[in-house]
Amino acid sequence: MNEVCFKNLTKDQCWSLKVYEDSGGYSAWRKILKGELTPEQIIDELKLSGLRGRGGAGFPTGLKWSFMPRHSNGQKYVVCNSDEGEPGTCKDRDILRFNPHAVIEGMAIGGFVMNASVGYNYIRGEFMEPFKRFEGALEEAYKVGLLGQNINNSSINFDLYTHLGAGAYICGEETALLESIEGKKGQPRFKPPFPANVGLFGKPTTINNTESFASVPEILRCGGQWFADIGVENSGGCKLFSVSGHVTNPANFEVPMGISFKDLLDMAGGMRDGTKLKAVIPGGSSTPVLTAETVMNMTMDYDGIEKAGSMLGAGSVIIMNESTCMVEVLTRLAHFYYDESCGQCTPCREGTGWLYRVLKRIIDGNGRQGDVDLLLSIQNKIMGNTICALGDAAATPVESFLRNFRKEFEYYIKYRKSMVKG
Amino acid sequence: MIDININGNIVSAKAGEMLIVVADRENISVPRFCYHKKLSVVSSCRICLVDVEGAIKPQPACSTPVVHGMKVQTQNVKTKNSQKSVMEFLLINHPLDCPICDQGGECELQDVAVKYGSDISSFSEGKRVVTDSDIGVLIQTDMTRCIHCTRCVRFGVEIAGIMEMGGTGRGENLKIEPFLEQGIQSELSGNMIDICPVGALTSKPFKYELRSWQMNSIPSIARHDLVGSNLLVQPYKGKVKRVVSADNDLVNEIWISDRDRFSYESLTHKNRLLKPQIKVQGRWNQVSWEVALDYAVKGLNSHILNHQKADQLGGLVSNTATMEEFYLFKKILTEVGCDNIDYRLNVKNLDNTIILDSNIKLDALEKIDYALIIGTNIRLEQPMINHRLRKATKKGADVDVLNVMVFDFNYSLHTENIIAPNKIAFILAGVLKSIMINNGQELPDYLIAINVDEMAKNIAYKVLNSDSSVIILGEHIINNVDASTIANLVTKIAQSTNSRTLNLSITANAIAANLVGCVPQNSGMNVNTMLASDMRGFILLDIYPQYNFHHLGAAIKAFEKDDTFVISLNSFKDDIVVGYSDVILPIASIYETSGTHLNINNDMQSYIAAVKAPNEVKPAWKVLKVMADLLELPGFNYEDSTQVLTEISYQSHVSHTHDINGNLASYHNGISVIWQNSPYSIDAVLRHSRTLQKTKIGQMNNAYMNQTSAKALKVSVGDKYLGVFVVITDAVADNCVFINTNQTINIQGQA
Amino acid sequence: MISIKARNQIDVWIAKYPKDRQSSAVMQALKIVQAENENILSASTIQEVADYLDMSGIAVQEVATFYENYNYKKVGKYVIRFCHNISCMLNGADDLIKHIENKLGVKTGEVTLDGLISVKKVECLGACVGAPMFQINEEYFENLTVDKIDKIVDNLK
Ligand SMILES: Cc1cc2nc3c(=O)[nH]c(=O)nc-3n(C[C@H](O)[C@H](O)[C@H](O)COP(=O)(O)O)c2cc1C
Ligand code: SF4
Ligand code: SF4
Ligand code: FES
Ligand code: FES
Repeated sequence: MNEVCFKNLTKDQCWSLKVYEDSGGYSAWRKILKGELTPEQIIDELKLSGLRGRGGAGFPTGLKWSFMPRHSNGQKYVVCNSDEGEPGTCKDRDILRFNPHAVIEGMAIGGFVMNASVGYNYIRGEFMEPFKRFEGALEEAYKVGLLGQNINNSSINFDLYTHLGAGAYICGEETALLESIEGKKGQPRFKPPFPANVGLFGKPTTINNTESFASVPEILRCGGQWFADIGVENSGGCKLFSVSGHVTNPANFEVPMGISFKDLLDMAGGMRDGTKLKAVIPGGSSTPVLTAETVMNMTMDYDGIEKAGSMLGAGSVIIMNESTCMVEVLTRLAHFYYDESCGQCTPCREGTGWLYRVLKRIIDGNGRQGDVDLLLSIQNKIMGNTICALGDAAATPVESFLRNFRKEFEYYIKYRKSMVKG
Repeated sequence: MIDININGNIVSAKAGEMLIVVADRENISVPRFCYHKKLSVVSSCRICLVDVEGAIKPQPACSTPVVHGMKVQTQNVKTKNSQKSVMEFLLINHPLDCPICDQGGECELQDVAVKYGSDISSFSEGKRVVTDSDIGVLIQTDMTRCIHCTRCVRFGVEIAGIMEMGGTGRGENLKIEPFLEQGIQSELSGNMIDICPVGALTSKPFKYELRSWQMNSIPSIARHDLVGSNLLVQPYKGKVKRVVSADNDLVNEIWISDRDRFSYESLTHKNRLLKPQIKVQGRWNQVSWEVALDYAVKGLNSHILNHQKADQLGGLVSNTATMEEFYLFKKILTEVGCDNIDYRLNVKNLDNTIILDSNIKLDALEKIDYALIIGTNIRLEQPMINHRLRKATKKGADVDVLNVMVFDFNYSLHTENIIAPNKIAFILAGVLKSIMINNGQELPDYLIAINVDEMAKNIAYKVLNSDSSVIILGEHIINNVDASTIANLVTKIAQSTNSRTLNLSITANAIAANLVGCVPQNSGMNVNTMLASDMRGFILLDIYPQYNFHHLGAAIKAFEKDDTFVISLNSFKDDIVVGYSDVILPIASIYETSGTHLNINNDMQSYIAAVKAPNEVKPAWKVLKVMADLLELPGFNYEDSTQVLTEISYQSHVSHTHDINGNLASYHNGISVIWQNSPYSIDAVLRHSRTLQKTKIGQMNNAYMNQTSAKALKVSVGDKYLGVFVVITDAVADNCVFINTNQTINIQGQA
Repeated sequence: MISIKARNQIDVWIAKYPKDRQSSAVMQALKIVQAENENILSASTIQEVADYLDMSGIAVQEVATFYENYNYKKVGKYVIRFCHNISCMLNGADDLIKHIENKLGVKTGEVTLDGLISVKKVECLGACVGAPMFQINEEYFENLTVDKIDKIVDNLK
């Protein structure tokens, strides 16, 4: 446990340059500066490691980095996505607070591999403590000459800046994030073109999640194979899981991929007050909800969770016990997507509000016969028809909650009260 | 080229083209709201989703690049289902009161709903109500109908060059609006009406008047500038109700200026002249056409022709007439033996005029890589030409400006040089000298003493180093002390650098007037000589002296003289015209007559009358023809204006380059006044366009000068100079007053 | 007018972006200007930011109304942003929000009479393992209970 991003978690001042360097930090970057590692070697190591994007989509990081036109002329950028805002997700905040140098080193390495001399870390506007930590770490790194122009006479340049958000979940979507850095509304762009060709300020850009970047230095230090061996097939390494909800000790746990759900639940101290498990959202609010029966034999890796009928997402495990009213939870989630839709595309702008209003009237005791089917039909009209994945993310919970807990909704409509809470 | 398969048919396409472009070319219908061929793609409305084989999700045709072998279904169940879903989402918050909407009948949403929509019964929440913002006098908003396609927003950013509309808020609260009710100011704003797919943005002057299907659309040509934008004039019951743009990529693409869109309002102005009138013994009588024409012809005969004094008759015409009218006007005069003809009313000194070719086409303008603009507020004076230049700058062209004042450009300039009117020739001489030295050409005498300064050097460098450049000369130069020298220098610079030139010192239909030869014939008098001579009579076509003439005091005096017989053909009542005329004949205005406009491309664009002129008003060409008949002149047996046109022989007007002499190295002294009618006051039609006059551009009315000039002229802020309020600003060059006004020219001011 | 101090702060952000990309600093510029104007943005401050960054007023207005961290109505000296999203809700956020509303005598979205505190319900703040939680101005407070809230709020001056 806690072998990569959280390696120094228990140490005093774990965010300091000293603690980081004492545990081998910046050794990969120094090797690069000495000319001992080539971009190709790094990409090979990353591919070997099985590291997949930790922001939610799980795209193999080594492969993504290899897509950048590194030999093309002109400016290129690396961008770190620290806009963490998906309900249930709170791991990047801790990485920024407790291990900011790993993010800096990971981004610098990315910059080198993709021939990008400038990087931005987009930190969500509310994360002022993490922002200050990260800025402090940047200052330390600049001071000792690990960043800047012609670093250590290596002719390698890398400047890293933070950009602060101002409160919009959608900016976590990578192209909305680029728009936001450009000083615009965070409205996702349609693709193609992909950011690797037309990204920030129109230049080739690669965006990765905070945890993805923070994992890179340790992979290069200990080897891709080492990382791959920690996890299981298709899911290399370890991963941070944010376990929240009705557990005794909610927390972030960095554990090997493939660990069983039961073990993870035990780490979190089991169900709070001995209550019974009812449902789990395994990867953040956008991933389908699973029932207690389906999760019991689930392993916590990409394939394992998919087999159970959901997605690993950002590793945000939300645990619900039997006292939970699923109608209430879904209404809250529907409100979230309604609130956070950027509004540019029709199905999401109009559909998220419609979903929320139908759920709201059910909760308010004004549900109508046929509302369950109506909800299903609305989500179906959103699904697959939008510019970005927020549309699908809004539709997914509706579909999965109704599939798994339809009775509760029908009860609420019929009796105008919660089946669980009365 | 690649092949793709749409609905089972193989069609060829360019790799990387968007699917919707291919479909449009093949006439395969794909619905769209946000997509517009002249705007960037945002792919946000999602109505164009189609089924592409191999893709799990339906793909938006507007943003999906085609690849070889792609198989697309635009009609199958999957496509239909996505389009129906999107339609349903669009309609849940859209009012379904099409019968009362101004866009009814020409609403893209309504069209698609009928074709692709599903029933919309499942939504039972209240509809979103959006408060409207007042965005100015030209455009009416009804934002509850807005479908957030952002065409209007992109129009502002990409075409008008100023972001005026935006989308505020997010999600369901996304609202399309301008910043703080400050209203839309662009000179091209009316195009938003044309591109808004629904009834959210409609024409304010047209509001609630009619449904579109009640009107015909008659193709016509815009008359207010040198472009001749293509239009559709939409009349109902004999009145023009609306003007919209018509496509012509070589002329105006799909855009028109607000000036061209809204000037039709003048046709119903209460000041229209509706009846012929004659002045008998100092008293005006409204009479029939027969009586009026008889009076006019008798007057001509008794005052002039019977005495063989045709050399004391003058014919003056404004640049607004049709090509046929110019021709008949000149023909009548020459037939009665009169050589005194002119249309160049606003030129101070006709020995010092601009002679310059226009030798670049409108669509080529957007492909230039460099432009030098001299003496024009081009954005407001020639909006459509400026639009082409703006497109060129977006592709990387550099633009240098030599102006007497800082004007608002909607693209960034390479350099903006503000220089006194009396130094422009000197700078251009420096440019020419620098170029000739560079080319190793021998310098003519007049350049030897010229000092080449940095500004001239920089401009010379740009002209020399661009592949396709254009030099544009504008209206502010016409009365420059060095006008003809400036034009000649421009020609020489262009010749030594292979540049094109564009003469914007004239406008409206002046090119036609010039080509037909509405200028002094043989040894006839020009306008200024006529005004200074003892004339027995004038025929005046569409003349309002207080706006038209440089020497207006002299003009009015010449017309007013007791024994001078004046026949005026006008469309609007005017006290000054009444004051000096003996006969006033009411003539048709724009859209009421057939005719031809000759634009800067040398396109002869003919149009028919879209409506009949009101009451007893007659087209000027007919009036001229009947006058000729009454004068018993041969060769006027025309039945319609097209017969006139076929008779016109196009003898190109001589345009030779004068030699440049005089001492360019020393400037003329004194403060020059540049009097420029504001863009919505350049002709009588515009001056009577109610709504245009209320816009910010319509209200432009100031005399701009810097502190030094103000001191020299002993005026300060709040004072009037030549009747116009003084604004003191650093934006104006030394030794210059720039007047932009919607007022009449001040009589004392213009000697 | 944007103060010299605020200009200097904005300039620090502008320096992070490529030349002619000063509009990238708009989000921070708005925050900085808002902080100087009793935590409220007005049309005139938006116009000032637009002028300073060479943007059109409406482009800045778009940004200023898209993101959630800008205010147009009076807020307290202390803004309590209470997360009511899923993990916090599962841990009793709704009851705690009611508690704080009763305690302060205001509803969410309102400001206390003395202008000291306003309460707002917000979406997930990314501290779900510390649920229930809220943010007061820049600071996070996690694992809230009635007692803990009372202590924190009573200490606000
Ligand atoms: C609505 C939405 C919100 C997202 N939010 C985040 C986020 O907060 N953090 C993040 O890293 N990725 C987020 N993503 C995923 C990013 O678009 C992107 O896939 C990711 O940053 C790529 O990094 P990775 O390959 O390292 O995972 C979001 C995606 C969507 C559609
Ligand atoms: S799906 Fe929603 S959030 Fe994504 S682009 Fe469309 S409207 Fe914006
Ligand atoms: S006003 Fe018209 S053009 Fe503008 S976004 Fe709305 S529907 Fe589109
Ligand atoms: S036309 Fe393609 S998404 Fe709007
Ligand atoms: S749900 Fe409250 S912080 Fe995430």
